[in-house]
Amino acid sequence: MSTHAVADSATMLRRQLRHMKRYPSLTFMLAGMPVVFLLLFAFVLGGALGAGIGGPTGGRAEYIDYLVPGVLLMTVASAAQGTAISVAMDMTEGIVNRFRTMAISRASVLTGHVLGSLVQTMISMAIVLAVALLIGFRPDATPVEWLAVIGVLALLTFALVWLSVALGLVSESVETASNLPMPLVLLPFLGSGFVPTDSMPAGLRWFAEYQPFTPVIETLRGLLLGTPIGGSGYLAVGWCVVIALGGYLWAKKLYARTR
Amino acid sequence: MSTFPHAVNDSATMLRRNLRHLRRYPAMVMMSLGVPIVMLLLFVGVFGSAMGAGVTGAVHDGDYIDYLVPGIVLMTAGYGSQSTALAVNRDMTEGIIARFRTMPVFRASVLVGHVGAAVIRTVASAVLVVLVALLLGFRPAADPVGWLAAAGLLVLLVLALTWLAVAIGLAARNAEGTSGFVLVVQVLPFLSSAFVPPDSMSGPVRWFAANEPFTPVIDTLRGLLAGTPVGGSAAVAVAWCVGLAVVGYLWARALFRRDPVR
Repeated sequence: MSTHAVADSATMLRRQLRHMKRYPSLTFMLAGMPVVFLLLFAFVLGGALGAGIGGPTGGRAEYIDYLVPGVLLMTVASAAQGTAISVAMDMTEGIVNRFRTMAISRASVLTGHVLGSLVQTMISMAIVLAVALLIGFRPDATPVEWLAVIGVLALLTFALVWLSVALGLVSESVETASNLPMPLVLLPFLGSGFVPTDSMPAGLRWFAEYQPFTPVIETLRGLLLGTPIGGSGYLAVGWCVVIALGGYLWAKKLYARTR
Repeated sequence: MSTFPHAVNDSATMLRRNLRHLRRYPAMVMMSLGVPIVMLLLFVGVFGSAMGAGVTGAVHDGDYIDYLVPGIVLMTAGYGSQSTALAVNRDMTEGIIARFRTMPVFRASVLVGHVGAAVIRTVASAVLVVLVALLLGFRPAADPVGWLAAAGLLVLLVLALTWLAVAIGLAARNAEGTSGFVLVVQVLPFLSSAFVPPDSMSGPVRWFAANEPFTPVIDTLRGLLAGTPVGGSAAVAVAWCVGLAVVGYLWARALFRRDPVR
């Protein structure tokens, strides 16, 4: 039975990858918004923000290094939005009901979505990273640190994708599904993604320091720029595991109920 | 038939129709209000301190919020025009215009109604944005004449953007067709002096920001609200607004005159 489940999940993953191949614009769209923000914050606001947040040189180049981890997280968040939409489309267009009448592992539909989104998000992040390198991002990471960066990003993507699968399942329409993950896209702004948390006013600073994206951003920044990470690495992994588990259990419960 | 009182009467009826739409569908107003207010909160609350430290030279020791508000007000005008483009396009594609054309109604009144309602809606939205800004610590130093001049410039800008939006709404085959205009209106404020002075931007972006239409409007509004001299930017701002309004009006008129082929 478990080999049957694996085979079915692989089939559903192939279905998702075929969608990606047929509609490559979707992958570029997912990378599009983070790239626009990267360019906007680097070339338009970067000079002022670079001078504002200080640092050794306090210029645009240094700010680009500061900025990239936050933009990578934004890529994951906008990919989560895409997942919620595609799950909602599957649910509302009746294809899932057809799958349910077939002799296939029930969970394979969701597994296919999750793995497909994971692949798509990694491609989007590679595009964002390539643009960042082109505009002057200069990481100091060793090969081991790069592996750790990929691991953290994959773990976060996995977590947010499960959460967005649940959001897609809970949505009554595609429009709702596109709006529900919106707070995820806003979270990097309300964390240390674009400016240090100590430059924020008290209440907001407290939220920014304790929300899940901040330790992930700090961990990525530390790994990419060779700065000490402290306890944020454990916090980042902890948050990812909790979100993944919560999203998975919620999605499983929603999917099990009949529509 | 096309006497002046008749034209005014029909335009007033169409204005009432559009204002009724606003009352019935407040979500549109909330959307065009929501984004500028979110931007205001984001740039004051989250980035305010870092931005303020980075643009101190431009702010002249004032608060960053004082630098920011004129740009947010302009953004409100932009988002308002976006709703107009969609509303005009909906009227065109849903066939109501074709019905109006069969009635003894002054032809241009449909467009005048849209423009009038858009001006009222956008100015009201801008007032609300300024009120939120005042709550957040915005402290303008403008005298009554400065406020009047700022309001006049805002109305002129709204008229210009609205006539352009009307033309775009008429030209587009469907609602998606207006998205190009929407994108331009959303992006241009960022590539201007709305959030940071152009001299803090990188080369080509700086050149573009210094020469695009929104920058002189923002700089003039900033000068008027701060009670500082506006220099030559006022004349440039008015010229841009009048130019855009005339282009938008003539384009809209030409599009509206042609027979509907939808």
